[in-house]
Amino acid sequence: MNAFAPDLQAAPPPSSKRGRRSSPWGWRWGDRLVLVCAWAMGIGLCVIAGAIVLYMAYRGVQYLRPSLLFSRPQVSLSQAGSGGFLDPLLGTMLLTLIGVVFALPLALASAVWIAEYGQGGRVRQTLARVVESSIEVVAGTPDIVIALFGLSLFRLGLFAPLSFRAEGGGVYGQSFIVAGAMMSLLALPPVFTATRDGLQAVPAHMREAAFALGKTRIATIRRVLLPSVRSNMATGITLGISRIIGDTAIVLFLAGDTPRIEPQGGAPIVNLLRGTGSTLTTYIFQNSPAGEGGAPQKAYAAAFVLLVLVLGLNLLVDRISRRQARSMGLTAAGGIV
Amino acid sequence: MNQHRRLRRLSIAAAMGVLGVATAPAAASATALVTISGATSSYPLVSLLAAKYVKLHPHKIRFKIAQGGTGVGIADVKAGSVTIADVASEFTSADAGLDFYPIAKYAICVVTNQANTLSNLTPKQVTSIFTGKTKQWSEVPGATATGPIEVFSRTSVAGVLTSFKSLLLEGKSVESSATEESSEGLMKQAVESHPSSIGFLSNYNANKGGLNSVEFNGVACNQTTAASGQYAGVAVFFEVTKGTASGAAAAFIDWIDKSPAAKKIIASQWVVIG
Amino acid sequence: MLERLRKPWPDHRAERTLGAVSLLVGVGVIAMVAFVATEAWPIFQHNGLSWLGGGGSLEHEIANMTAAGAHAPAAVYHLRAWPVIYGTLLTCAIAVALALLVAVLTSVFIVELAPVRLRNVVIPVVRLLASVPSVVYGLIGILVLAPFVEQHLITAHDKDSVQNVVQLTGEGLGVTVVILTIMITPIMIALICEALSSAPPSWREGAVALGLNPLRAVRAVTLRAIRPAIVAATVLATARALGEAIMIEMVSGGKSFAPNLSHGVPTFFYEPLRTLASAIVDYHDGIAAPPLRAAVYAFALLLLFSAFVFSVAGYLVKLPLRKYQVRA
Repeated sequence: MNAFAPDLQAAPPPSSKRGRRSSPWGWRWGDRLVLVCAWAMGIGLCVIAGAIVLYMAYRGVQYLRPSLLFSRPQVSLSQAGSGGFLDPLLGTMLLTLIGVVFALPLALASAVWIAEYGQGGRVRQTLARVVESSIEVVAGTPDIVIALFGLSLFRLGLFAPLSFRAEGGGVYGQSFIVAGAMMSLLALPPVFTATRDGLQAVPAHMREAAFALGKTRIATIRRVLLPSVRSNMATGITLGISRIIGDTAIVLFLAGDTPRIEPQGGAPIVNLLRGTGSTLTTYIFQNSPAGEGGAPQKAYAAAFVLLVLVLGLNLLVDRISRRQARSMGLTAAGGIV
Repeated sequence: MNQHRRLRRLSIAAAMGVLGVATAPAAASATALVTISGATSSYPLVSLLAAKYVKLHPHKIRFKIAQGGTGVGIADVKAGSVTIADVASEFTSADAGLDFYPIAKYAICVVTNQANTLSNLTPKQVTSIFTGKTKQWSEVPGATATGPIEVFSRTSVAGVLTSFKSLLLEGKSVESSATEESSEGLMKQAVESHPSSIGFLSNYNANKGGLNSVEFNGVACNQTTAASGQYAGVAVFFEVTKGTASGAAAAFIDWIDKSPAAKKIIASQWVVIG
Repeated sequence: MLERLRKPWPDHRAERTLGAVSLLVGVGVIAMVAFVATEAWPIFQHNGLSWLGGGGSLEHEIANMTAAGAHAPAAVYHLRAWPVIYGTLLTCAIAVALALLVAVLTSVFIVELAPVRLRNVVIPVVRLLASVPSVVYGLIGILVLAPFVEQHLITAHDKDSVQNVVQLTGEGLGVTVVILTIMITPIMIALICEALSSAPPSWREGAVALGLNPLRAVRAVTLRAIRPAIVAATVLATARALGEAIMIEMVSGGKSFAPNLSHGVPTFFYEPLRTLASAIVDYHDGIAAPPLRAAVYAFALLLLFSAFVFSVAGYLVKLPLRKYQVRA
């Protein structure tokens, strides 16, 4: 067409057929080895995951009876008489509820403040960095350290109303509300990150339109921005819930470790919060050869129920994020998260 | 008009709040709460005694019994975190300021796996096995297990370990290569699942079934020989308080000491004192 | 007053409230770190930094601490925690190295080699592995893997060779490392896959045009390009491995013993150990005794510090990724 690229005209038109791919038989040995290893790893990981799920399902079906889900644990010498795990199941749900109730307002407030108000001014930006970094510190803290922190903290006399006092004056320092407060630290980072990223991804024109209509910043946040990041929040909350459900250390240290839920005191709901109990995770731990029970059948049954719960939550996260991606016009191409 | 409605709503809410907070401690103080922690070997006995006591005094007392080992119980009661400590070993100089109340006697049995039908060990053999001098089952006459001897011991917080060392091990220590279990339940599981193992348990757990209890110097280890004084390894369970026991704790300990119902429970598997 | 709460808030009040709540979170976290450091101080006071070293039996030292009361003499605070630190370093290093290899190969498989239908199977599988709770991994380890190792892999000869020093019961380094690798691989796969798929395709196409086969092109070009993402993945996986407590407590054998390579290779992997996190689980019920409380908090401080260092390192390494518009 022009003097600069005479060959372009002479070149044949691009073929619509797929180009010839180089076949592995022509490669060097090193590359072939890597190919085989990569395939082996990929298939191997699937095989391992399949083995775990199938084995737990096999043991679960073998040992799980519907009566186990609805009967309470009992002190007994034999497997047959030691009851089911209704209380641990209820304990899991109660603790999740408390954890989310504590984490949600804190995470939302922080995310909103950092995303919307934390931009202007030196002081505000420094404070915003401080808050962001501290939430990253919490995200990176092992749950065992959080549990240990709670163990000593809630034995101070100041926190006696949160658990109870024994005769002799010592604050017990372990109860559902204590464990739930520390669990909220586990759920805080996922909710915070998801909400903050969602708020930052909201295009500027939505805010500008609201301001142009005369709304204040806080009203914009309440009525325009938060509803639009609802699915981000949902993903974050579900991630937080799955972290809470899967955690053992905090419950083991802080929830009193009694097989049954034992309320404390007289007031109707407060006594449950101040009471001690256990969750599915500590039930599994205590019934395994590592704990006191030596009841592997019950441990398998409870582990199967726990796995089903966690996998269900996983599917939920998947569905929410896929719906969100579709609504924003993107497709998840090859990404895992 | 709005002001009045607001004030009324606020005052109702405040009253309910105060009521709720007030009833909680009021209801709680009706039942005394006694917390206990300590030995895993006396846990079955203390749980039974506590359950019986609660049945006899309904709505007056509640117990929360944890385990952790004698050492943990003593540390807890020294720090004031629990009311009573369950202890399975004797008073030492480190326990100044604590009051020890004996409640029962128990025997410490040497146990092996059920498949290993070893019937008797002399004191010298016991010492030599647990201190690591004898290493193979082939060197122990009467043992049907083969291969190296796997010694299971308890972690240092165990009162049973302290008593075992002073009564049956001539004061020596168990070899440092032994695997240490942190409770009687775990020790029982370990010996049950390893064919060439040997360990020690209180007589209640040793004779529950699933293990081979070994005679010590020709004397079987059970409740009868412990009561008669024939068996050498008899130790005492204590309830320990910081200073003199008072209040609900004192009443409970007193009840264990004097009541025939408590004596009946103790006599079922353990040895009554006095 | 309720009226004032119910009316829409003016901006400055909302901002101040939200700011206060956010700062509360920040202050709370700082207070937590300060609390842990304060409780751990007596160990530093009596030992300096030499408590990180070795010598003596950690189990004896812990025994002394449990028996002591509030006003214990200085000798009770003596602590040499090297076996526990060595156990932590050993398990994390081996697990992260293995996980790196597995994760890179699997990510290359997922992004480059797998047909679409197989990819749609492998991705949920990876997510599944990431979401299994650690107590379930521990249960499988202690009920399936450890008995298998003890009955089929450990020989009487192995047990004899270390009988003077330690007993081999199946629970030990090998089982711990295998399960820890499976636990941290999904984290690395997620990050590396994202980086691989957002790396500029033109670079790889250029390499293919120059005559490299596709796999070699990935090795030579893309993997080098996403090196920061691989480092970030390694660092984050290490932080996760450091904090794993419950699973390790169940399968590591619970003995403060430093596995010794000079005992020979299969035996090395059968030896029991203890890590910082599993030591906290084992000793936490004795924290009514002040010296033991200081020791356990010192372990926690070390964990907190390392996890913090690794998280910061991961964040710093991820920063240059934004230059290449690689979402990681």
